Amino acid sequence: MNKTDSYEMFVEMDKMDGDMDVKIKKKKKQKKKERLENMKKEMDIDDHEITIEELEARYSTSITKGLSSRIAEQVLERDGPNELKPPKGTPEYVKFARQLAGGLQCLMWVAAVICFIAFGIECAKGEIGSYDNLYLAITLITVVVVTGCFGYYQEFKSTNIIASFKNLVPQQAMVIRDGQKTQINANLLVVGDMVEIKGGDRVPADIRIITSQSCKVDNSSLTGESEPQTRSPECTHESPLETRNIAFFSTTCLEGIATGMIINTGDRTIIGRIASLASGVGNEKTPIAIEIEHFVDIIAGLAIFFGFTFFVVAMFIGYAFLEAMIFFMAIVVAYVPEGLLATVTVCLSLTAKRLARKNCVVKNLEAVETLGSTSVICSDKTGTLTQNRMTVAHLWFDNVIHAADTTEDQSGQSFDQSSETWRALGRVASLCNRAFFKPNQETVPIPKRQVVGDASETALLKFTELTIGNIVDYRARFKKICEVPFNSTNKFQLSIHELEDPLDLRYLLVMKGAPERILERCSTILIKGQELPLDEQWKEAFQTAYMDLGGLGERVLGFCHLYLNEKEFPRGFSFDADELNFTTSGLCFAGLISMIDPPRATVPDAVMKCRTAGIRVVMVTGDHPITARAIAANVGIISEGSETVEDIASRLRIPVEQVKKRDARACVINGGQLKDMTSDELDDALKNHPEMVFARTSPQQKLIIVESCQRLGSIVAVTGDGVNDSPALKKADIGIAMGIAGSDAAKNAADMILLDDNFASIVTGVEQGRLIFDNLKKSIAYTLTKNIPELTPYLIYITVSVPLPLGCITILFIELATDIFPSVSLAYEKAESDIMHLKPRNPRRDRLVNEALAVYSYFQIGAIQSFAGFTDYFTAMAQEGWFPLLCVGLRSQWEDARLQDLQDSYGQEWTFSQRLYQEYTCYTVFFVSIEVCQISDVLIRKTRRLSVFQQGFFRNKVLVTAIVFQLCLGNLLCYCPGMPNIFNFMPIRVQWWFVPLPYGILIFVYDEIRKLGVRRHPGSWWDQELYY
Amino acid sequence: MATLKEKRTCGQRCEDFGHFVWNSDEGKFMGRTPIRWLYISLYYVAFYVVMTALFSLAIYVLMYTLDPYKPDYQDRLKSPGVMVWPDTYNDEELEITYNMSDKNNWMTKSKILQDFLEPYNDTIQAQCNHYNCTSGKYFIQHAFDAPKHTKWSCPFYQSMLGNCSGIDDPTFGYNTAQPCVIIKMNRIINFLPNNGTGSAPYVNCTALEGQDNVRGYTYYPTNGTLDLSYFPYYGKLAQPTYMNPLVAVKLDLVNQRHAVIQCRVMANNIAHQNYYDPYEGKVIFHLTALS
Repeated sequence: MNKTDSYEMFVEMDKMDGDMDVKIKKKKKQKKKERLENMKKEMDIDDHEITIEELEARYSTSITKGLSSRIAEQVLERDGPNELKPPKGTPEYVKFARQLAGGLQCLMWVAAVICFIAFGIECAKGEIGSYDNLYLAITLITVVVVTGCFGYYQEFKSTNIIASFKNLVPQQAMVIRDGQKTQINANLLVVGDMVEIKGGDRVPADIRIITSQSCKVDNSSLTGESEPQTRSPECTHESPLETRNIAFFSTTCLEGIATGMIINTGDRTIIGRIASLASGVGNEKTPIAIEIEHFVDIIAGLAIFFGFTFFVVAMFIGYAFLEAMIFFMAIVVAYVPEGLLATVTVCLSLTAKRLARKNCVVKNLEAVETLGSTSVICSDKTGTLTQNRMTVAHLWFDNVIHAADTTEDQSGQSFDQSSETWRALGRVASLCNRAFFKPNQETVPIPKRQVVGDASETALLKFTELTIGNIVDYRARFKKICEVPFNSTNKFQLSIHELEDPLDLRYLLVMKGAPERILERCSTILIKGQELPLDEQWKEAFQTAYMDLGGLGERVLGFCHLYLNEKEFPRGFSFDADELNFTTSGLCFAGLISMIDPPRATVPDAVMKCRTAGIRVVMVTGDHPITARAIAANVGIISEGSETVEDIASRLRIPVEQVKKRDARACVINGGQLKDMTSDELDDALKNHPEMVFARTSPQQKLIIVESCQRLGSIVAVTGDGVNDSPALKKADIGIAMGIAGSDAAKNAADMILLDDNFASIVTGVEQGRLIFDNLKKSIAYTLTKNIPELTPYLIYITVSVPLPLGCITILFIELATDIFPSVSLAYEKAESDIMHLKPRNPRRDRLVNEALAVYSYFQIGAIQSFAGFTDYFTAMAQEGWFPLLCVGLRSQWEDARLQDLQDSYGQEWTFSQRLYQEYTCYTVFFVSIEVCQISDVLIRKTRRLSVFQQGFFRNKVLVTAIVFQLCLGNLLCYCPGMPNIFNFMPIRVQWWFVPLPYGILIFVYDEIRKLGVRRHPGSWWDQELYY
Repeated sequence: MATLKEKRTCGQRCEDFGHFVWNSDEGKFMGRTPIRWLYISLYYVAFYVVMTALFSLAIYVLMYTLDPYKPDYQDRLKSPGVMVWPDTYNDEELEITYNMSDKNNWMTKSKILQDFLEPYNDTIQAQCNHYNCTSGKYFIQHAFDAPKHTKWSCPFYQSMLGNCSGIDDPTFGYNTAQPCVIIKMNRIINFLPNNGTGSAPYVNCTALEGQDNVRGYTYYPTNGTLDLSYFPYYGKLAQPTYMNPLVAVKLDLVNQRHAVIQCRVMANNIAHQNYYDPYEGKVIFHLTALS
């Protein structure tokens, strides 16, 4: 697809986006439309088509003298500085508020409000017997605020890490103003300024080229093409994106010199517009947020169901309406798992920390899990999958294609260098090369050194430096006599050197260039050091090799040499580079060298791992289809033996239309085809071909592809580094930007940043994400279980009127003190099975909290815990003198503060305070029961399917520590002096710790039986009902 | 994910819910087929039957281990509570306020005392507690000598309260400025006042406020003594007819006729300074006589 199309698509898509966004209020919509209209108008620039005179008139400038400072100042005032406006950052208070408004947080706010209402009702009735409701409300709010602060701090920290990557050095630009050349800060440039750029500079704004000397720019951040693009004064295309006489803001000038006039600055540049497109794309809700909302729905539903049931029961028993209402509220509030919010936040930040250690920085805490749910990764090619550095990949000599080492750290296999032909080829490659290393880089590894020269010469220089040795010395030994640089008419480059051997007085002519042109000039070919005549057979061999290498998406160069006749060209002969007064034909062909931007070493392995993990990797690039396909095949995105529709057609020699689309596993679609496809066709293509490569895509098309994947129910991760990726990064469920190579726009739009640019880190992310999903499930199951033993005392208290077995403050201690650490420790649990060999979870079926989990936790384990609590409660009561049957219906007398001589089962008389402390004893005993059962619970939650014996009791050291901690804290609460009157904990008799122990063992045994059944009979009724 | 995030209309949500309640395609009611509902219900019934059985067993074992005569622990009953009658409260505090010129008003107080003393009626006591106790000594019984395998309880006769017994003066002095209050100490199994040293505990009342308004305290029985023969208490099963010994105090109010009185049972093993239990070993009440 050519760029005009992509550019049109750009505008169309914008419109569509605007139309689709129905949620936005009308006013906003109109404004947006206006803005889009403006955008469209501004895109219709013709600055590249009109003559220079017209251009001068338009911007009231002169190509020789530039703008006058006065006008420049005015324009600067009008247009603002030449820099990308940072995307409107969310104000800090909004960020904080967002931390307070998640699903769980909302639940807790509602609970707090209910508590206040209940407290209000109690106040109004004039019985301020207990401040429990007030304490509860305050605690709930505190928990929300504290975890909010924690989450905010986490995000703040990672934002800081990212911010530190920003380039703080102001860019300088050479500008001509008032006829003077001056160096100014690039952000002061205005439209109409004349600027000069040279190799190595970043283009300071969108520039119409006026003069140029072999100027080449790297547009990879804009389009994804790794190949340098020539820039020259001629207008070659009507589209501003395609024409050669415009250089774009933020692209890099690789070589040559050019002067040009600024035609757009700041946000009005092409790159600015793409960046602002990203800010128009809405953020997606993370899968974990959706899961938590679903979970809150379940909790809220159960709470209201329970509350209502017992409201009716209470009314039926004969409580007053207001009292029943307070019961209702208390039950609803009791259902709120206060500790869960903290648990989830801490678990997620633990994983975030773990990821950060592996160089993945997560901007939004919830995004930690997203990678685990990801089923499709849309990856950009340049800079993400590849090194974004031209490297020699293959050599063809002695009629064999040799593979060069393309790994970043030179750890790969090298080819056989013993052949004479290689020596000749290497000599040509080193000598016929104008690139050189920048000085003072001796300590830098060769592949990372900076080079002055174009991409392919750089590749050759590094290659020869690696294989032959110090090129500076080598070149010095072959003194250069004459040189003809590359130009577009000759399509070759040659140089003439003296030989190393001082006795050999011949000159050596070395030449490189486009292979077919080089071949034309050759009459012999070097095979195994022997010069053989270049006959048809060799020519065919050459053709095959050339086609093969081209088919790999590589850029191929031919190399040849000739020893000039000593008699014809004696020492001192004056070679004329312009006239070419020497032989340039009948040369001896040495070989071909092909170059490519090679994949990063870790990528093929990472792609492979993604595939085993059931994740589809789709390549979406702005580069050419052939290169894209070659790289895709190289890294395994297109696996070996996979064919595209075209491949099948050519293999079977039938027209493309007759090939069944389903037969082709692979598919390469370029932007042009994509433009003509409806969204349904795109969905079909994505469904039919598991291996997809999109080439020549525009930023908008990347967006369409992401949306299409999301429509198919996938959770999509997008990786990218360029500005052109930023809209897609934003749209994706999780955007992953490269930390080193990534542009600021990409980093801003992303949710996760790979600090080391290593695609393999994504695999770690997936693994950690899946693990945290599993472990969160366990944590939640653990946390939910105790809700029932916390609730049943109250229910029994209402219905059977026993003295209250468990108080509100005690519940808060269980939720927020003793059980937090064990529930967090489950986040350290190792995976039960090889999670990287499973398919990604189905977001519609595999929920974080499903019915089975809630029902099993609440109505089985929770029920056992309740029985344990009540056994211990009745034991403590009976041993102190209150038999179970007496307790029933005792409530009104028990709680009567004016009754100082209530008789127990033995006839002893108790004052109110004595009864109250007995009640606290019950609280403590119930608390201890829940603790003991929760220890058993945390052990069973270590696994969902495996036996705990298989998983290992002590492998999770944190969990063991947590249990010890829990016990210590429980003992501290019980036996610390002063506790009875502060937190209503009583020093209880030691044997009451052991009453719930049989129930704890029962829980463990029961769950082992459940797991055994689940393992033995997968898919059975047992599995379906009891596996969560 | 798009499908999960779609905004659905209320109608669609209701429809979805309806589909969840009864899914005619798969014959599922609330996500399960009837047969599966049956199975899961049976499972839960079985589960809860087993759990309830285990729980009942546990409670049975617990009851089996308990001693019917005395509790295993008396952690909260280290020291007995003390209470005053008439036990009228104003909000949090005990407040005995009466109008001696308003018959209906003071009658409520004397009625409370009459009701309270009913079980102490001399005839009733003579009937059920007809054991002759030796006063001034702990009445320690190791064997169950009384009929029906019980232990003897000492009788406490209403008449022992003299002028405050209500026999001679059924008004208990509430038509004058000399009202009677009755102090009772809570009973605790095996509690021996003064740790078995043999000296009897007694009630001592003092005015915490308005000392000038109280001219004198008259105790019944003499000195406000709680006779040692009432101790120790052996529990409801061993001593079904046991009655707490009482002490009546006749207060003589003068001047403003208002005072805050503290009545304390004096014994060296009865605490009275527990901040958290104002009724332990003592009772504090406001006494006001209006005219």
